[in-house]
Amino acid sequence: MDGEKMIGPVLICRCNDITLNDLIKAIEMGIDSFELLRKYLKLGFGPCQGRGCLMIAARIFAKRTGKSVGEVLSSYKVRPPIIPVPAKYFLVGGD
Amino acid sequence: MKVLIIGAGFSGLFTAYELLRNGVNDVVVIDAEYPGSGGSLRNVGCFRSSFTSTEHVVLMKRSIEKWLKLRETLGLELEMTGYLWIARRPETMDLFNMIMRFHRQHGVLTRALTPLEAGEIQPGLNTKIIEGAMFDPTAGRMPVIDNFVKLYTYLRRNGVKILPYTRALRLVKNGNEVISVETERGVLNADIFVVTAGGRGTREILSTIDISIPIIDQPRHPLITEPYAKCIKPALIVDWDTKGAPYLTQTEHGGIILARDIEEQAEVSNISHRIDVFKNTLKPLVELLPFLKYVNISRYWIGYYEMTPDHHPIYGPVEPFENLYIATGFSGHGLMMAPVTGEILANWILRGRPNIDIAKNLGINRFRENKLIKEMAIVG
Repeated sequence: MDGEKMIGPVLICRCNDITLNDLIKAIEMGIDSFELLRKYLKLGFGPCQGRGCLMIAARIFAKRTGKSVGEVLSSYKVRPPIIPVPAKYFLVGGD
Repeated sequence: MKVLIIGAGFSGLFTAYELLRNGVNDVVVIDAEYPGSGGSLRNVGCFRSSFTSTEHVVLMKRSIEKWLKLRETLGLELEMTGYLWIARRPETMDLFNMIMRFHRQHGVLTRALTPLEAGEIQPGLNTKIIEGAMFDPTAGRMPVIDNFVKLYTYLRRNGVKILPYTRALRLVKNGNEVISVETERGVLNADIFVVTAGGRGTREILSTIDISIPIIDQPRHPLITEPYAKCIKPALIVDWDTKGAPYLTQTEHGGIILARDIEEQAEVSNISHRIDVFKNTLKPLVELLPFLKYVNISRYWIGYYEMTPDHHPIYGPVEPFENLYIATGFSGHGLMMAPVTGEILANWILRGRPNIDIAKNLGINRFRENKLIKEMAIVG
């Protein structure tokens, strides 16, 4: 499936409502590093931690900049926790 | 004149911005990783001028003036919603009063609040366990990433060459001049060299020409919650009397950032997460704002403070070299100082001296000459 050929607003990030158009506009604005683009669009900032958006965005960015997906994702780091955790679970113990 | 800047963070980019404003068009900025990959996109986005050294207050007041002007020139965004420093102990209010006298001497209008007044500024604050607060209404916060991207794309549109993933490996000197920098992607020449590569980065690149600077990167561990409707009213709330001064701020996106300085081994654990951060950060902050026990923590990242012995930056020329300048060691204040950093460095490069005299106190020689600057509060 080629996301760029779809018609109408195409959501690439359901956590923060980022569309394919937002992604393309950001690339055209001159953001030429994927990690900066990712942070600008808050991809991976939501509860899914990038599981939904990241590969889609990386593939489109790679295609548009002539890089490989591996190269594009080279600076990406997974942040804990894997899923959002209620603060109350951390209120036992501590110094 | 060709200027090469090592470090494409806020300090490096604002240096490029000020050079451009002064007619220097041939500017190249390189970065070891992506632009902003150091402290620039890892900090919590807050600024203030309420410091406890004359150097910091004077420079930060000028920097805030410049940030405000940048709203018009570059369309940057910031809000002045103030810093709230909470005192849990009565004697801390005495200390706050002493600090506020110093602030007023320098025209920074901080004021003391009773527990109830603090509770009006921050609804939900547990006023029963506090003795009062100090409030700085001229402090604030900003959407860091948006502002970075606006500056970055402006510079690129205006001809500044920015090369990410071009790590500087070695400076090459000839007598008292730096002639080039060897990078992962080849050799780059310039007339003037500027290093704004963070603490460790700057220290390592300067060591290749036998210059040593006393800086270590100290890891910091902020947590962020899922986005919530605006509930943290001041830009920053600081729990002064708890060890490691826990603090919190809410981003424009709604995430509440919670952080506390914990005991760390400098530079050893810059990439290792610690489970104890969660409980040690949350516990004191939930005491102050009990509603926080209902939030969900969605992410945790690591940044660092690039610490100098006196917690002030190192600015200016690097003797004996005639064409090498640095700005580093901001000790947690690099973002807020960045506009004035750029202005000072551009003046040093183009006119041989900083536009603000007091910046001369922050030269690299102060460590050798034992003229360290004293600072009482390093939070936020």
